[in-house]
Parts: sequence; C-alpha cells; structure tokens
Amino acid sequence: MSAVLSSLTRRNRLTIVAVAALALYALFFASSYDQRILTLAGIYVIMVLGYQFIFGHAGALSLAQGAFFGVGAYVTGILASQYGTGFLLTFPLSIAGASMLALIVAVPVLRLASHYFALATLALSQLLLLIAVNWVSVTGGANGLPGVPPITIGDWQATRGTSLLLFVWGIAVAAMLVARWQLNPLRVAVFTVMRDAPLAVPAFGIDPGLLRLRAFVLSAAFGGAAGALFVHTNRVVSPETLGFGIMITCLTMTVVGGRFGILGAVIGALLLTHLPEWFRGLDEYYLVAVGVLLLAMVVFAPDGLASFFKQRRIPASPPGHAATGIEENATSVKTGVRVLEISNLSKRYGGIQALDRVDLSINAGEIVGLIGPNGAGKTTLANIITGIARADSGSIGSAGFDLTTATPTAIARRGIARTFQTPQLPDGLTVHEAVATAAANIGNTANKASSISARATTAIATCGLTRIADARCGTLPHGLRRRVEIARALAGAPHILVLDEPAAGLAPPEQAEIAEILRTLAASGLAVLVIDHNIEFLRPLATRLACLDAGRLIADGPLDEVLADDTVQNAYFGLVQQ
Amino acid sequence: MSAMPRVITAAAFLCALATGAQAEPLRIPVLVPITGFLALEGTSQKNGAELALRGSGVDFDVDDTATSPEIAVNAFERALTSGRNREDVVAVVAPMLGTQMLALVPLADEFAVPMVTVSGTARITELGSPNVFRFFPGDVVVKAAHARYAVEELGAKRPAVIFQTTAYGQSGRAELDRNLTALGHPAVIAEGLDVSVKDMLPVLSKVRDSGADALLLHLHSGPTALVVRQARAMGLNIPIIAGSAMHQPETAALLEPSELAGVCAESGASPISETNPDMLAFADAYRAAFDREPDAFALGQYDGVRMLLAAIRSGAKSSADVREYLSTQRYQGLAMTYASDGKGNMAHSAVILCYAGDSRVPAIVKRYENLTGVL
Repeated sequence: MSAVLSSLTRRNRLTIVAVAALALYALFFASSYDQRILTLAGIYVIMVLGYQFIFGHAGALSLAQGAFFGVGAYVTGILASQYGTGFLLTFPLSIAGASMLALIVAVPVLRLASHYFALATLALSQLLLLIAVNWVSVTGGANGLPGVPPITIGDWQATRGTSLLLFVWGIAVAAMLVARWQLNPLRVAVFTVMRDAPLAVPAFGIDPGLLRLRAFVLSAAFGGAAGALFVHTNRVVSPETLGFGIMITCLTMTVVGGRFGILGAVIGALLLTHLPEWFRGLDEYYLVAVGVLLLAMVVFAPDGLASFFKQRRIPASPPGHAATGIEENATSVKTGVRVLEISNLSKRYGGIQALDRVDLSINAGEIVGLIGPNGAGKTTLANIITGIARADSGSIGSAGFDLTTATPTAIARRGIARTFQTPQLPDGLTVHEAVATAAANIGNTANKASSISARATTAIATCGLTRIADARCGTLPHGLRRRVEIARALAGAPHILVLDEPAAGLAPPEQAEIAEILRTLAASGLAVLVIDHNIEFLRPLATRLACLDAGRLIADGPLDEVLADDTVQNAYFGLVQQ
Repeated sequence: MSAMPRVITAAAFLCALATGAQAEPLRIPVLVPITGFLALEGTSQKNGAELALRGSGVDFDVDDTATSPEIAVNAFERALTSGRNREDVVAVVAPMLGTQMLALVPLADEFAVPMVTVSGTARITELGSPNVFRFFPGDVVVKAAHARYAVEELGAKRPAVIFQTTAYGQSGRAELDRNLTALGHPAVIAEGLDVSVKDMLPVLSKVRDSGADALLLHLHSGPTALVVRQARAMGLNIPIIAGSAMHQPETAALLEPSELAGVCAESGASPISETNPDMLAFADAYRAAFDREPDAFALGQYDGVRMLLAAIRSGAKSSADVREYLSTQRYQGLAMTYASDGKGNMAHSAVILCYAGDSRVPAIVKRYENLTGVL
C-alpha cells in the first residue's frame, strides 16, 4: 500500500484526498438538498466533458451543446413519460439521438469557420427550441411534459438523495474514462496542432475534418447523456433544457474550470452549481455576486482553474528505445527509382498563371533544388504536390498512385511530407509531442503509443534535437524550429520530403546543420525537394537544380549547368545577356 | 434508589428536548420567481405572501426560483432538507411559473407538503396531486370570463388572439380557443409571440388583415404594453381585452392613460379598483410595505397565505393538518371566497376591468362569480 502511495505524484495524492473527502461529505454529512446539488454537478460534469471535445480540443466555439443536452432530455422525457420506456432503453437512445443530430448537421456546419460556425450552431439551438415550444402534441409545448419517472433498473430505483447521487456520479466516472480513452496524450497533441497550426495537420496525414467531426459527435453524445439524466433528476422535461441558459452555463463551467481535462470539468461543474446556492443569502444581489466572482476567475485564471495543475504529457521514449522507423521507410524505395512524376502541371489564380505546364520528376535519394524569383510559382508547386492547392490541369504521380486530386491527408499518407515557409508549430507542445503527432498517421501496427513515441524519438535524434525533446516549441529559436519541422515531417516515415525555404532566416552554421541532415536523409533513400533562394545553401547540397520563372520550368539539370544557363541567369539573377 | 435521580434527570432532559422541539416555530418557505422574465409578477407574489406572514409568528424565508424548473427544485429541497427540521414546514408558497410547478408536484407529493400558489397554468391541478392549491383563478375560470366578456358584452364576432409562447401563454390560449368556440365565435387568427419579440407591428398587421373585430391578449406584462401601444399607434382601434397582466399597475405605468382608453383586462381581482374598507386597508399596508401598487397576484397570494394562517390558528400543526384544512374548508378572502374543487383550484370568480382613458386605475365593469359552480 505504502509502495503504491509513494509511486503517486503529489497531484494524484491530492486528488485522491480531495475525492475521498468529497465522497465522505456527500455520503455521510450532506443533506438531501446538498446531495441534489452534487447530483446536478455530476450531470454537468458529463456535459462539460463533452463540450471540451469541441470547444477545448477542436477549438471551435459551438453553441449547440445546450441543444444536444435538450435533445437527450426530450428523447428520455417523451419516451419515459408518455410511453413508459425504461432507462436502459431511453438512456442509450438519448445519446444516439444527440449523436445522430450532430452527424446530420455536421455536414454543413463543420465546414464553417469561427464565428460562422458559432452562429450556425446557435441557429440549430434556436430551431430546436422553437420546435419544442410549438410542437405541443409531442413535446407538451412551453409547459413541457411532467411525469418523468425516476431512474429505474429492474427493481432498483434512484429517486433522489444518495442513490441518485451515486448513480449519476457513476455515469460521470464512466464518462471520464471514455473521455480519457478518446483523449490520449497523442490525440490531445494532434488537437493542439490543429488549433495552433492548422495548415500542418493535413500535411502530415491527419484529416482535420474527421478530427472535428469526432469532437462534435462526442460532444453531442456526452450532452445527450447529461440531458437524459437531467430530466430524471427534475422529473419534468421543458423547453428550458433547450434554452440558451443551459448553453451559457456549460460554456461558463468550461471556461472557469478549464477547457481541457477531467479536472477542469469537475472543478467547473462543482463550482458553478454551488456558487449561486452559496450566495442565496444575498437575496436579489446574489446574481451580482456570482457574476463578479466569475469575472474575477476568468481574469485571474484565463485558462481555467485546472490550469494551476500540471497537464499530462506524452512520455518521451528513453534514449535507448529509438526505433528504426525512418530508415525502414526511407530505404523502402530503392535509390534512383523515380518517386515523383509531375507532368504538364498548370495552375492559374485569377489573371496570374502561377504554374504553366510544369514537368518535373524526382528520384529516391536525390536532392532537387528548386529556385526562381519571387512569384515564380515555387510555393504553389509545393502546395499542389502536397495537396494544399489543386492543379487546374496536369498530373502528379508517386509510386504508381495518381495524386493529382488527392487530399493533403491522402498525399501525406502516401509518403509525401513537407515543411512550411513559416514553421507551423504549436507553441504549447514540447518538441517530442509536436513530432509524435505526425508519427500517429502511419496506418499500421506502428500506431501503438510506444511505437509512435519511439518513432518520434528517432526523428528527433536524426535532426539532432534529443537534448531539447522536452522543450516547448514556443521557446525555441528560429533555427531549431526549422529542424523540429523537419523532424516532424520525418516522423511520418515519408519517402519524399518537400522543404519550403528551410534555410530562410538561418545563420550559415545553422544552414550547414540542416544541409547535413538532408544529405544523411538522401543517402538513406529519401527524395528531397528543396525550395530556396539561397544558392550558397543549395550549391553544396542539391544533386540537381530546377528553376521556375513566371510559372514555367525554364531549366532542370545538374546544378552547375543550370546556374550557368543564360535563361536562368537572366530570370533569376537579373543578368541580362545581350 | 441511587438510580432514581438519574432517571428523573433523564426524563426531565427528554421533556425539555420535546418541549424545545415543540417550541420551534412553524415554517412556510416562500419560493417565488423574483428574477428573470417573470420578476414583475413574481415580486407581487412574494410581496403578497410576505405581507401576510409578517408578524404572524410563522417563520419564512424568501428564495428566488428564477425561471427554470431546476432552480425551483433546488429551492424546494433547500427549504425542506437543509439545516432545520423538515417537520416544521407546514406548507410552501410555490412559484407561479407553470413549468416550475410541474417539476415541484412530484416532490411535494413525496414530502407530503401542500403548495400554495397563484400560477394560472391549468395543468398543475390536473395531475392528481393532493398538494397543489391555487389561489388565483386558473385559466379555466379567467379565460371563460375573458371570452364571454368579448363575445357577450362587446359583441365580438371575429375575435383575434395573441398569446405568449410560454407555458402561461399556451395554457391560456387553449382555454380561450375552447371558450370562443363554445360561444360560437372561434378566433379568426391566433398568433404566438416569443417573450423576446419587441416589434409587434407584423403580428398586429396580420390581426388587422384578418378583419378581426376584437383583440384578445394573453401575454406577459411587457409584451402586453407593447401590443397596446403599437396597436393604438397603427390605428387599430378595435376593442382590446387583455389578460391579467394588463390589470397590474406596473403594466399600466408603461402606457399613457390615453393609450389605455378602451382597453380591458380579465383578472382575479383588482385591489386598486376596489373601494371596500378591508381592501383599502390592504392596499395601504401594501404600499407602505413595498412602495408600489398591489395587484391581483399579490392579493391572491396574500389570501392564500392568510388561509394557511387560519389553518394554523384553527389548530393545524403539521403539513397533513394544513392540507386537510385547505381541502375541506371554505375561506372568505379579500378578493373572493375560496374553496377547493377537489383538485386544488381554490378561486372560482373573475372580474373584467376597463380603463377609461383618463387614468391608469381601471374600473371593474363585470364580475363573474363562481364560474365553476364549486361554491
């Protein structure tokens, strides 16, 4: 026992003591009224845990959580009060009803960005509220439906007090386990990247649309479950369950407690259910007191009260646990074999021909430099190769697959990774976490957490970043951020690496370090396309050089030949040959 | 022998405890909506209860139920189970909001505590609960008066109805529909209004276009004033017979006396319109205590609590005694005579009052006594 206790962190010991104290109070000292407030808190914990998926992790301000709560409430309320359906059926149906609604509305709604998404979800809530108020024959209208029975399973009944409290918190604990299962540290990190560096997510093979959908549906499922329990607790279902007040309550709990983690949900729900009750003695001024206190909390703990506690982290693999994933993948394509074939590629933006019938191929183990003046189409080509932009005509093939119209996610999964002109790294994640997110996309047995971590460790080591693996990305200087991006690209086990100006803003020694890394990677079979202006960086590095000018490929060949080409001299260096 | 003093001491201690327990004052918690969209009416309800309980020797605490069932149930459990002896609570003044009452009924039945309210929602007395007692004429009563006055006294043949899309509004609308149809003149148009709607012109235009010859309102206070003002502003000069919200002095204060010309309202009572000495004394006491005019909600709740106190004076010591008294006794209140119809509907009379256009004090123009035939 003492060994177990000593193995716990201080935070875990504190949590166990707090939970035990709360449980003792709830079971042996709390009045029926106190137990009711704690029961409501348990219900809100479930709702907030769900809301954290979409609002916290996916970073989308959904105003539909109240609607999902209400749908769960009405499904249970109608079935239980009108048809006598039992809890074992109504509860899963409430969860399914809310989840189905989320799936249906996700198609149009999840495409919307920021405030449009918030407005669309708000409109959904208002629509459901109108239906509840006006469809009197089914919903009971504004009166709602009384006569919702207590939770009954067989001969056992949880009417109120201790039995209902234990049952609700039992479900809340189950919800916590589901949330913990769904939000393993790696997925939390992926969500972080999606919020802080949205361009990067598809580029390393993770579909942000699916991530958002998962978060939205999970939030709905949790909301539906909470709504179902709520009507059993109040014994009536009425439009208030769909009202904006519930949504605001949920949002406030999430903001005050914390947008991430079980602790945030528990703190937010417990505090916000109890605050108004504690201040009841102030009569009509109690709302003012609650408001002032909430404002103070938001000001002094903008990330939620739970942020005072340390968050979980993806454990870095021990140094000796480095897997050979990168080498395995990189050498899976034989050196010299053509891995990327671009034919007749064109792209127009309005009146500008960004790319004009470009042909380019890259072989395994080759480092191809791509130069060209500003506006020549270099980044457009990188974006089309990696699926961020779509070509108007032409084709892109890799390893026998046509990737011309493939999504960024599919292209990344076909082994084409990239970095960006401006590093797309989430400041709040450690280097190891940021790199591990890209390792997670590889669709095979390597998806085990230990394998992902090992793969990330290897990529970090390949880029010489082991000593800063636990440093937060936001604290790193620009040169190291460039290398972290390369490490993240490598973690996805690519066979083609597209680098957009990797040497920009770097000092010569830093450029040399990156060049050395790229040479090592190419030697192991990786095909590398380096877009850069810096000839001094490319000269010792590139095995071949291509030059774009006004969207056309004007040269492609050995580096010295291309640099000596008159057309390149004219277009790139501005040396007009008479 | 030596044990005797200890036995006597123990017996004396137990007697003292028992005496102490008996000495605890009885309690009547006042659970009313004093914040939210029903704050105006809820405050009247609170004031009526408070005026009756002051100096009565009965303990009372006021607790806000706002406008959600959840908060009402919280308040109920808090009043009955938190801190003091539950047996001291002989009755509860329960919120006038219908959805809150629907949530409280199972709890009241479980605790076997009678609830006294002024909620107009018909359904609360249709659930078979022995613990609901309504001291304000329900929709069955006032909407009968409302429809009859429009049809029988004003000669309306094409009435229009505007109702609130709340529990209060939907309940009243159903009764208006039933009564107007029974009188042979169903509504030519019935439009629902959300409480947040401020621009009434669209719905009033529909009423005008429908060819209605009378407008029956069943709205909360603010929307009632807005409809009256905008109807007059757009020249819609058909008779307006509003719901009980229009009888409230606070509603009339939102309008100019000229805008009130020809506007009538149904109500259980109108304390400021009455001239009998008891009612005048009540109105004076109310003004002195709360610095505002009394309305029918305040008076109904005052009468309801006075009947509770009458039960206690007559020897009721428990919630069961009080319930028995309320169920079986007749009580002469200030507004009317109260008696249960077996479902907890205690009020069976209504009045129609109209504004002349020169003041904000309406005159009672018609009394509908004992509309249910209970008395």
